[in-house]
Amino acid sequence: MKIIAVFSAKGGVGKTTVTANLSTALSQEGHKVLALDLDPQNALHLHFGGDPQRIEGISRATLAGDDWRNAGILSPAGVAVMPYGAVNEQDRRAFESLLENQPGWLLERLAALNLGEDDLVVVDTPPGPSVYMQTALTAANLAIAVMLPDAASYATLPMMENLVQTYCTPRPDFLGLGFVLNQVDNSRLLARDVSQVMRTDFGERIVGSIHHDQSVCEALAFNQSVLEYDPRCQATQDYLACARSIAEALTTFRPSP
Amino acid sequence: MTDAPQPPRKTLSETLDRWSDRVTQWRVWRHPVARLAIVILGALLFALAVTVPLELEQQLVFAAVCFALALILNTATGRLATLAMIVLSVTASLRYMYWRLTSTLGFEDLIDAFFGFGLVAAEIYALLVLLLGYFQTAWPLGRKPAPMPDDPSTWPTVDIFIPTYNEPLDVVRQTVYSAVGMDWPVDKFKVFVLDDGRRPEFKAFCEEVGVGYITRDNNAHAKAGNINHALTLTDGEYVAIFDCDHIPTRSFLQICMGWFLRDPKLAMLQTPHYFFSPDPFEKNLNTFQVVPNEGELFYGLVQDGNDLWNATFFCGSCAMIRRAPLLEVGGVAVETVTEDAHTALKMNRKGYNTAYLAIPQAAGLATESLSGHVGQRIRWARGMAQICRVDNPLLGPGLTLGQRLCYLNAMMHFFYGLPRLVFLTAPLAYLLLNAHVFQATAFLIAAYALPHLCHASVTNSRMQGRFRHSFWNEVYESVLAWYILRPTLYAFINPRAGKFNVTAKGGITEEGFFDWDMARPYIVLLALNLLGAVVGIGKLFFMESPDVSTLLINLAWTGYNIIMTGAAVAVANETRQVRRSPRVGMRMPATLRFASGKTLACETIDFSQTGIGLRVPADVEIPMDEPMHVSLYRGQEEGVFPVAAAFRRGDHLGLQFQPLNVQQEVELAQLTFARADNWASVWGQRQRDSLPRAFASVLRISLKGFTDLARGLVRLVTPSRRARAVSSTLHTRD
Repeated sequence: MKIIAVFSAKGGVGKTTVTANLSTALSQEGHKVLALDLDPQNALHLHFGGDPQRIEGISRATLAGDDWRNAGILSPAGVAVMPYGAVNEQDRRAFESLLENQPGWLLERLAALNLGEDDLVVVDTPPGPSVYMQTALTAANLAIAVMLPDAASYATLPMMENLVQTYCTPRPDFLGLGFVLNQVDNSRLLARDVSQVMRTDFGERIVGSIHHDQSVCEALAFNQSVLEYDPRCQATQDYLACARSIAEALTTFRPSP
Repeated sequence: MTDAPQPPRKTLSETLDRWSDRVTQWRVWRHPVARLAIVILGALLFALAVTVPLELEQQLVFAAVCFALALILNTATGRLATLAMIVLSVTASLRYMYWRLTSTLGFEDLIDAFFGFGLVAAEIYALLVLLLGYFQTAWPLGRKPAPMPDDPSTWPTVDIFIPTYNEPLDVVRQTVYSAVGMDWPVDKFKVFVLDDGRRPEFKAFCEEVGVGYITRDNNAHAKAGNINHALTLTDGEYVAIFDCDHIPTRSFLQICMGWFLRDPKLAMLQTPHYFFSPDPFEKNLNTFQVVPNEGELFYGLVQDGNDLWNATFFCGSCAMIRRAPLLEVGGVAVETVTEDAHTALKMNRKGYNTAYLAIPQAAGLATESLSGHVGQRIRWARGMAQICRVDNPLLGPGLTLGQRLCYLNAMMHFFYGLPRLVFLTAPLAYLLLNAHVFQATAFLIAAYALPHLCHASVTNSRMQGRFRHSFWNEVYESVLAWYILRPTLYAFINPRAGKFNVTAKGGITEEGFFDWDMARPYIVLLALNLLGAVVGIGKLFFMESPDVSTLLINLAWTGYNIIMTGAAVAVANETRQVRRSPRVGMRMPATLRFASGKTLACETIDFSQTGIGLRVPADVEIPMDEPMHVSLYRGQEEGVFPVAAAFRRGDHLGLQFQPLNVQQEVELAQLTFARADNWASVWGQRQRDSLPRAFASVLRISLKGFTDLARGLVRLVTPSRRARAVSSTLHTRD
């Protein structure tokens, strides 16, 4: 089992969309993928054809002591999805304090699922520092920061590096921090300049660059990933390329059992 | 040089390698006396092999054994086998020539002597060119680019010159955009358009793009004078020169500069001239990118061979020159019309080095029509003849023997006009005039001449196979022989006269036509050879006791000449060419973005200066009337360009670029024409030579020549329907 934590320092960068599409892309590239929603917005499963009225999820299951397996759904593309679940404020706080007090919680629960050695877990987190992000980063083998090619995102870089340093770097099974540039539109000069600067700064650590594409938005309206909605569009190719470079990065190490 | 035909037989190659390694490492070679001794011994044995008289049967056995040895060697890879084959070939050829000069020249009457000595003179010329060619290309240097220092702030300054005279702005534009996008520190290179046409629209364009624009108040010494004038107004340490229709790649400066930094005596580095549009041979014979074209032998092999001897010469474009030595020889030479080669010669004489890098770093438009192509070759031939007279490389100071011989061959090469015409008519002397040009029996001739010819073809096919297919040399020479004969002789006699032709490029051939004016000499040669064949066959059947073997030899020769002249005729049949900006095939990823914001990932088929072709799934709907954007990539780099759909045929979508600003133009150039790997990836990758296949293709082209000729004749005799229709409408208007 290899854990990929998707996070961002600021909201509105399309992090959940990236998590969903990247999970589908990894699955299409032949990996077994579990997409795990650690964001109280509980929006991830909507990208996988989930029912908006559905309330089951890992938060409820954890608090109730139920098996996670019953909380999940299977997307038409074959991705196993664990929604966050719909909870009231009190339960959410209880769940968050549970996460706070049990640092090993995520790994234990995932271990209970008996996933295979090469199976991938993609974890979505809410934007900015939170106990969810902390939980995800503490367990992650690979951290993926989602950014827009704009000045605001660029300004958050030090903060993200910092978070990763705090939670991930000391561990031997942590591969590193990768970046995904989302909604890239190179016909705009600023976007291009920021991409250029980031490429100069990070080079190979940019594992994906996803074009701005109307089909990505439309896909969500149809409760689908863009890969299913418009297999020929550029964003689909970008997600597949991103999945390949992540898979490539992950082959370079064996997770500790 | 990967110079053996595949599949290589490893064992033999390995044995040869081991052998040569062991022998060359013998300690005895360190001793000068031993070296001298082995040279003398070798020379004596060689002289013996060349001169020893043999009976017919003995000569046959000797020739068969030598040729069998050559064929066995030809199965091995590596340079030792090539060198050994050259030795065998030289032996066979010199043995033939020795026999020819000592045993076949006892002519009995004046006509025999006239044709006989004429033929032997042509043969001596051909032999000399063969030997010089072996010398020149036996060991191509295969120079690789030298790396640049890591810190770009230490890189030197360069001026890029783009001389132009009468070429249209559309042609020059692309070259300028590509030159501007060169991967080099922006404060360390400047681009200058040197406009001898003094055209206001060029000036306006240069100002818009922000490149230098240089003119002068006269056109003295044409291109050479133009460059020399610009040298007085600029100050970069280096000068890179591109003809205005040679589009450089963005990597040119980085690829070329390394050697200048490594070798302070290096004055000039030349790269190949690569053409992305077909020349008239390729266009009219439909051999583009299948058969290596006329220039590929020179840039693929000859210049690389010259490089070993430090005798690479400047070819006027796609080259970098160090300013100081160039100024030291007085700038670009103006005494001859091939100022480029002459300039290199002068710098070599001053002790400077010249170098060649066989990596195409620019691409250009080939001359459109046969007459234009011939005009250009005439200029080269005339210029070389001039150099031969005014600054003969065999004489004068400062050159090594190797340099002298390489330059000599470059010059000698252009005197092929007369010898080629002699070979194309030689059998007629016997068939039509009954002249005995060989005072020997047919069997003896075969026993000596065939080894000479067979060794030369097998060896040359091995050495040149990637860059010149067998028999094509004869095709190219047959087409050009008549035309370069007079200019070379004239320039040789009076080297000071001669004017510079500028070849027209970027035009269109509205309609296919048969160029009767150009074809006239080939038609005469063809008719004469056909007549010779008819007479010869007539003699064979109707003459009392004919000399069958001599007749057969001459008939075979005439048959070969008929094939070659037929192929030359085919070249004169100009095919229709409608595209003003030729397309370059290239598969690379692309993205199409529609007005709706949706996208389509696809790949390119080809590009041109004005548009791009994409392969799109046949079932995808494309809104043909909406504006779109196309993205092109180079690694992580992406350029986005506005386009409009031009046509759709199944999975082929044609797009036209909308007006771009200067920055977009430069970027588009960097992602298309100026891509570093564009031309290098196809360089020398044509189908390898094989003697039978090459002969079959020449034969096919020759047959096409006959049909073209027949059709042209029919059209000439019966006025075409269209012409009639036109004249009739004119009548009704009256």
